Amino acid sequence: MNLTEEKTVSVNSDSYRPRQELLQIKDLRISISSEGFNFEVVKGLSLSVNENEIVCLVGESGCGKSMTALSVMGLLPRGIAEVTDGAINLEGKNLLGLSGRELRSLRADSISMIFQDPITSLDPVFTIGSVLEEIVRAHRDVSRSEAKEIAVQALVEAELPDAAKRMDSYPHQLSGGMRQRVMIALAIALDPKVLIADEPTTALDVTVQAQILENLRDRQREREMGMLLITHDLAVVASVADRVAVMYAGEIVEEAPVDELFEDPQHPYTQGLIRALPDISASRGSLHSIPGRVPPPQVPPPGCQFTPRCDYAKDACWEELPILSAKGTHSLRCINPQQFKAL
Amino acid sequence: MKRSASRLVYTIIVLFVSSVAVFYAIRLSGGDATAAALPGSATEEFREEFRDRLGLNEPIYQQYFTYMGRILSGDPGNSLTNNKALTDMLTEHGLNSLILGGTAFALVFLVGVPLGILASLRRNSWADQGIMSLSTFAMAVPNFWLALLAVWLFASTLGWLPSAGCCGTKQLILPATVLAFEGIALTVRMTRSSMIESQNSDYVRTLRAGGLSEWRITCKHVLRNALIPIISLAGLRIGQIVGYALIVETIFGWPGLGQVLVNAVLRRDYPVAQFFSLVLVALVVLGNWLADTGYTIANPRLRKSA
Repeated sequence: MNLTEEKTVSVNSDSYRPRQELLQIKDLRISISSEGFNFEVVKGLSLSVNENEIVCLVGESGCGKSMTALSVMGLLPRGIAEVTDGAINLEGKNLLGLSGRELRSLRADSISMIFQDPITSLDPVFTIGSVLEEIVRAHRDVSRSEAKEIAVQALVEAELPDAAKRMDSYPHQLSGGMRQRVMIALAIALDPKVLIADEPTTALDVTVQAQILENLRDRQREREMGMLLITHDLAVVASVADRVAVMYAGEIVEEAPVDELFEDPQHPYTQGLIRALPDISASRGSLHSIPGRVPPPQVPPPGCQFTPRCDYAKDACWEELPILSAKGTHSLRCINPQQFKAL
Repeated sequence: MKRSASRLVYTIIVLFVSSVAVFYAIRLSGGDATAAALPGSATEEFREEFRDRLGLNEPIYQQYFTYMGRILSGDPGNSLTNNKALTDMLTEHGLNSLILGGTAFALVFLVGVPLGILASLRRNSWADQGIMSLSTFAMAVPNFWLALLAVWLFASTLGWLPSAGCCGTKQLILPATVLAFEGIALTVRMTRSSMIESQNSDYVRTLRAGGLSEWRITCKHVLRNALIPIISLAGLRIGQIVGYALIVETIFGWPGLGQVLVNAVLRRDYPVAQFFSLVLVALVVLGNWLADTGYTIANPRLRKSA
């Protein structure tokens, strides 16, 4: 029997079929103002997530990926970060134009988010069941017992062991991995169309990481959700993504289907990230790293943001920010792309 | 349960140590019990005989054991100055103190918590700034001065309230407010910072992402979490009120335990001073124990896991 092979083939051919666009971010700009400083952390980002697709947004800490995710949920820290321009459309409706009440009714129901740290992300003084039920009842006109049924079902789907019994548990009685499963249950209980996961496995043990990712992907495939997965871990990207967007200093520098990106990375930054992946077959030698550091957002360099760290920088790179131009399914923001040479 | 049991043992130890401390402190502070009990014309021989009769010439530790034995048997003795039974004094003055202290304690939370919530919800508004400045003032002002100021303003100048006396509502207002003042201020600040911390927490972000209304999140989740540290400090507030009661009761002539104790110390009335000091210690310890129990109930992390 060739079941596994067939399955792989069908998933692959599936991933290139054009699908309905669910979430579309257009020219998004986010500014942070704190202690008299005012600077842009997201600089004209455009990205879309389609039905039944996992898009990974990759980049190092501080590149603006979490801010992007929070802005989609309307959860940017008030008084500190703010969307200054652009549009965020969910099935054609601009979320930025909605009232607080309208946006609230979409949260958890049409668009959900899972956060990085499951230890601090659950209210410590209420049982997980009561919070799940509360959120279900905030969106659905159902009785207590019906809400409880939905909540238990969500926990079962998040693969929390002994789900029904765990309804009466407090967060401190659960492990980090179990708490993240509760977070997943909160996010998928109402069957949203779009799921945003911001580094959902970063705080967990490696073995638990794999289980949680698998669970997320299974639920996503079953429900044909659009999923935006934010991570800095290329191993995660390789195992679950359909499409990848690489972000650097508030901008997308390269975007492509996952196979294409790993086979033919064109931006020097993407190439550096892939080279930095530890290779199990090369047991000797030091790990590769990209020299330099991310430019401080208060004083961005002129031209392409990556120029100061780029091995192939030309004079022109210092002068003008290249536009993100698409060739087929592959987009690139670089005027001097190089053939990728693995180390 | 285990936690409460260990707290109980701890409580007993505290009571024992403080009973020793109180007993010795009064005897070491000098002065003579006969000065209070006997007329000035009493001869030295008579005084000596009087001391003998009271057992004051025994070694101190022996006096201590005799005394504790009497307390435990339910008869702490009589006052040296007016020969009243201490148990009667406790019922009479204890009730007065309970009225005053209980009112002050209720004021601390009934006024402090809502003001703190208001300040946290209207952060940096004029209301917040007003409440915060007032609470800084309230913490800085010593309460004996505040008591005199209140008497001058509300009793002498405006004539709205009596300056002293017992035990009607009108007489209660000034001393209870003065007694609660600093506690209110501390509770306001505590509530405000606790609310703000809770509002900025990750779990509140999760609830927002779940589409709950801001009002619901604040009233149910933020408040419930913010109350934990407030409850844990309720024991301190009790101790503060008991301590300040000595001053406030004396100034306002409120015949409570504090006033009795102050007078007893001034007159070297050993049995009264000892007994009522111990009663106050017991009150503070009991209050702390209650607050601790409340804290355990409010904080599921301290309950035994199911």
